[in-house]
Amino acid sequence: MATQIVMDRNGDTRHNFDARDAKALLKAERRFKALTGAGFTAATRTADGEPVVTRTFDPTAEETLFFPRLVGG
Amino acid sequence: MKLLRKADDQLRRLLAACSRWALAFRDWYQRPSTIELRGRKLLREWLSPEQLAQYDAHSYFEVTGCHTGKRYRISHAVGANVYELDDAGWPRAGWCFVPNDHLVAGDVMLAQKIALETDERGALAVANNFAPR
Repeated sequence: MATQIVMDRNGDTRHNFDARDAKALLKAERRFKALTGAGFTAATRTADGEPVVTRTFDPTAEETLFFPRLVGG
Repeated sequence: MKLLRKADDQLRRLLAACSRWALAFRDWYQRPSTIELRGRKLLREWLSPEQLAQYDAHSYFEVTGCHTGKRYRISHAVGANVYELDDAGWPRAGWCFVPNDHLVAGDVMLAQKIALETDERGALAVANNFAPR
């Protein structure tokens, strides 16, 4: 089961999907494009746990984290 | 005299009870919300073992900027919480950059960590600079 984690005012919202299900995968890809298009940054982790920013949807990613655009505080 | 002593004793008991009640109220009022706890959990999942140990011990952790190799300290807060460190580990400059939404501290800190570790220059380009205290 793969997960897309979106940071939001509730802490985060998790979208779990079966990456072997073509329909679920398409939905996840659409969510990825919608979020990154809205300015969210998408990040995954390497096997060593290092974060990596990804600009294209990776259907093999087990976990993708999205956080809103960064601005000066 | 006996009556005064009894009144004094009762007053002390009342004050002790009030003090206990005040402490319990303070603990209840300052308890982290469910949202706050969720943010902390997510942060903990993404920290390296070294960062997690540092965070547990000091409520901050350090990251290395991907472009310059500089060290930054990210403290538990929702803003004005990123410090560039000098070679001795002392804060040399403060950097303020946050996600463009109202997020809890754990989420803010995680976004800052990922930004510095994957796009240090991009993060600092939008950040405001402040003098560390």
